[in-house]
Amino acid sequence: MAARSQQRSSVVIAPGSIICDECELVGEITIGTRTVIHPKATIIAEAGPIIIGENNIIEELTIIENRYPEGTENTGSQAVMIIGNNNVFEVGAHIEALKIGDNNVVEAKAEVGRHVELTSGCIIGAQCVVNSDEFLPENTVIYGSGCARRVQRERPPPQNLQIDFLSKILPNYHYLKKPTKQ
Amino acid sequence: MLIILLFNEMSLSGPQHCLKLKCSECLLNEVDSHYCPMCLENMSSSEAKLKKNRCGNCFDCPSCGHTLTTRATNVAISDPDDPGKSTPKKMYYMACGFCRWTTRDVAIDDKTVASGGWEDIENTHAKKIQSLLDYYHELALNEKAERERKKYVRRRSHLYYAASMDKYGMVTVAVKKKIGAMSNVSIKENEETTTQITTEEKISDFPALPDDFFTTPLELSKVTTITQRLASPEFQPTITNDLYPKRKHLLIRKSMRCKECEHNLIKPEMNPLSIKFKIQLVIMHHIPEVRLMAPMEFRFKKELKVVLLLINPVVHNTTVSLLPVDKESDSFSTAKIELPKKEVVLARRDDAAIYDDATQMHQEFKDEKNVVAFRKANKLGVIIKVTPLIQEGDVKVSFVLRHDYRNTAVVLPMENQEPQISWLQHRIFLNLGRIHKSK
Repeated sequence: MAARSQQRSSVVIAPGSIICDECELVGEITIGTRTVIHPKATIIAEAGPIIIGENNIIEELTIIENRYPEGTENTGSQAVMIIGNNNVFEVGAHIEALKIGDNNVVEAKAEVGRHVELTSGCIIGAQCVVNSDEFLPENTVIYGSGCARRVQRERPPPQNLQIDFLSKILPNYHYLKKPTKQ
Repeated sequence: MLIILLFNEMSLSGPQHCLKLKCSECLLNEVDSHYCPMCLENMSSSEAKLKKNRCGNCFDCPSCGHTLTTRATNVAISDPDDPGKSTPKKMYYMACGFCRWTTRDVAIDDKTVASGGWEDIENTHAKKIQSLLDYYHELALNEKAERERKKYVRRRSHLYYAASMDKYGMVTVAVKKKIGAMSNVSIKENEETTTQITTEEKISDFPALPDDFFTTPLELSKVTTITQRLASPEFQPTITNDLYPKRKHLLIRKSMRCKECEHNLIKPEMNPLSIKFKIQLVIMHHIPEVRLMAPMEFRFKKELKVVLLLINPVVHNTTVSLLPVDKESDSFSTAKIELPKKEVVLARRDDAAIYDDATQMHQEFKDEKNVVAFRKANKLGVIIKVTPLIQEGDVKVSFVLRHDYRNTAVVLPMENQEPQISWLQHRIFLNLGRIHKSK
């Protein structure tokens, strides 16, 4: 616990972001402005730092972790996990991908493995599991129980209205983590 | 598959009573009307046929088959007179909430109206199909006319005879009419068929596949899947850019009718709210329930007492007897079964009984120890003796459950009649358990 609380101090929160106090942040994490993290979301930077960009929504029970691949424990080399802007991680999503671009939507209970690279405008449908070693081209949509794929023409729009709404509502009912002083 | 068993005790009128158990499989299913599952619009059968059994307003996603929803957007349209000024205009397109396919994906223009603006694409083979249809329609007409003509030829003498005797001029009119009809037929006959169908030419050689077909790598995201192609059999798009919204299939409301007494058991209504589901007809409210009390371990040729639980669902005492089935007609059983010889009485169902002492019940019925294992409220444990005749596999037995039944649901109380008692028999098939091969 002592080690954890020490790690907690290395969380950098940009002003303007809404980070509920009940979420779990472990390790070296940087969170950009106007990013919303719901209570009960878990972000664990075990095998290296996690950098989260701006205007992201991370809903409850989402797990974002940067952990060692199975079998390789603490080899000393660190990998940085980078999440871009305007992404939405819906309830119960499990993210391990090291590189995530912009405007992606990971729907409820979907899983994205460590070796997947999400570019931009991708949608991983509800309960779809992607854990192969691959590079998803832009605007890929994965949907349905068979994880069918298609490429859409337009990327999903950024959820600015939802972020505005959450930034108004969440502080009424939850304690927030304070932004780190510069 | 879920089968709802219904108890057909509906025939109020008429002397014949139908007290058969029916499931959705053994009822006569009839098409009542067509409706769209999305907008719930009703359609008569002829209208549905005209629209090829598809809804006029609702669409399915050609990519995943999910229902498409209409989305509205504001599009700024620049004024032709004043290029600097633009006015916002509401435009509509369709999108799939599941795979996120939109009509914009395949470059279909947005529409200015929310519904009705989506026209079908022309089927290039429509003309050919129509001509074939016409041709066969004509053939069918000719054949029918031929049959009619033969009938008239046989009757002609009678007709002329009748005409000569005609006082009121009615028959002459009829004869004239029929002769006219016959002359029409003969014209058709001489012409054979008016519309001719052109036979397709046989293709003997066609150009070889272009080289780039083999050399360019396949982009899976641009090719449609087999299901997507077969979803619109008239076009069968091979590339995703050719996908086009499909009109939604209509569903039918079906009514279910008993095959014997032709009574309607389930009748759908136009308004779903006004459907009266005949829940009092579900057999679990009428027929005693047979359950296996506890799992048993069976041995080959070893007699075992099995307790069957009988539960009475009605508010009268029910007399039940278990009868053996014909040995020869019984191909189901794999065990010898010894049933109680005497009738047993199932106590009436009394919802308040669980709050009472159960003691008085025991005095009311004189149960034999070797037949009745226990009695509690409307439940009764009946002992049957089972001797498996197989070394391994399922131990299955079959018998007939015979019980009296008071037809209370139909008889009105004011008639002051004794409710009619009838005896019902049901064949029961029981799978008691499995014998595992001894090691």
